[in-house]
Amino acid sequence: MIDGTQVIDFHGHVGRWDPLGMKDDPDLMLHAMDSAGIDKSCLFNIFHPDGTTGNDLLARFVAQYPDRFIGFAYVSPMMPERMIPELTRAIDELKFPAIKLYPPYTPWPFNQPQWHPIYEFADERGLAVLFHTNGGVLSRPRYLAEIAPRYPNAKFVAGHSGNTAEPRAEAIAAAQAHPNVYLETCSTYRTPGVIEQLVNEAGADRVLFGSDTTLMDPRPQLGKIITARISDDAKRQILGGNARRLLGL
Amino acid sequence: MTSLNFKPRVPVFDANLRVGDLRDEPAPYRNRDELLAELDRHGVERALIYHAQAENISPIDGNNYLEAWLGDDGRTYPQWMVMPTADSLSQIQSLHAEGRVDCVRLFDTGQRDLPFRPWAYNTLLSWLSESRIPVWIPLLDADADDLVTTLQAYPDLVSVLVGAHYVHALWVRPVLTALPNAHLELSRYEPICEIEALRDEFGAERLVYGSWYSRYAMGPMLFYLHHTNLSDAELASVCAGNLEHILQGGTQ
Repeated sequence: MIDGTQVIDFHGHVGRWDPLGMKDDPDLMLHAMDSAGIDKSCLFNIFHPDGTTGNDLLARFVAQYPDRFIGFAYVSPMMPERMIPELTRAIDELKFPAIKLYPPYTPWPFNQPQWHPIYEFADERGLAVLFHTNGGVLSRPRYLAEIAPRYPNAKFVAGHSGNTAEPRAEAIAAAQAHPNVYLETCSTYRTPGVIEQLVNEAGADRVLFGSDTTLMDPRPQLGKIITARISDDAKRQILGGNARRLLGL
Repeated sequence: MTSLNFKPRVPVFDANLRVGDLRDEPAPYRNRDELLAELDRHGVERALIYHAQAENISPIDGNNYLEAWLGDDGRTYPQWMVMPTADSLSQIQSLHAEGRVDCVRLFDTGQRDLPFRPWAYNTLLSWLSESRIPVWIPLLDADADDLVTTLQAYPDLVSVLVGAHYVHALWVRPVLTALPNAHLELSRYEPICEIEALRDEFGAERLVYGSWYSRYAMGPMLFYLHHTNLSDAELASVCAGNLEHILQGGTQ
């Protein structure tokens, strides 16, 4: 909690990636969260294309601290026959409230038909879908402007807000054009003025705090929001208000 | 206690700040007054500064451009860029003769296929070591073996390793172990809880706060350091004291 605002980190990973120092140790995560006032972290496991393996590992992880961690369902079009059954299971049985997708672990840009059954599912359920976005051909934020109007009940979130200037402009343009597109803030680049740009050009009600924990410590990513030249009201929306609305909390 | 607004609670001396425009990236501030305003906004008292053109084009020209950013108010301190050529070393030696060199920063010659090896750097590193001038070394494209084997050949040389990232996560511990006179600058180092872990393993005196503004926003890492379990004494050392010690020619 920061000045009465419940803080929700919308972007986090479980699973170890030791060569990069990524450790999904709940004690480390809670220490980092508690040191800075982060109440809840949204987590996903993107390392298993079947979806089921990672989602089950995630469910057990979240169950250790169900008031602090929120699981997002992961599936991949690399195993298309499993996508919808696994999404149905993860949402209905594991009680995950949103979906995470990671195009770089597939050969298909996320505007291609292989992904569309996932968007239809999200649209029917009114779910949020968080994408990895950047300047790579698989993950360009401009694809959001194609899919968002076709699935108006789903909410599409550009993870990293495109990461660098050109794809970031695409992400902002998609958010300006479509009310169901949102921008998430984590990035190793930490370029000056980016948070201000997202707020000024897309609106504070469309920006979500994310950290990329446990690949990155959530505290410097939180510091991007706290030290940005934006209003306190904008900070409150970004830190938690918008995430609560998207997740129905 | 975290607040929606943040100011540091210890004096801050930024060890890594870039001024001026890169050839392909204008800086978000146009002059020294605007830079000082950004320092003030984040509660930063002093900064060690180098010029973008020294990193991007020419160390010699960049050092000349740096002069315009150095005031007489004690808030900005020069960090001269150097490369292992006679012209560059001569410029630094002239500045040193004027008593104006407290540290230098290495130009990354690896981008032009000159590796960081003793056969290429001996003249420069020998002089820096004999003159007790600490050296900042960017890690972006550095080779870990070159870094360790070369610096081990100059055991009295104090170094600050700049810009370690999570892609360097496997390096950091063995490098700090192998190089007892090396410090780690923290602007990009974000693996979870690693700053506290490095404090436990190596001591806070090996860690140095830098923002690497304007490559990165000035506030986030400073905010992070203030929300760790570092004691106030450790925090003060990391945010300013260690840098002051290094610039005074201190060794571990």
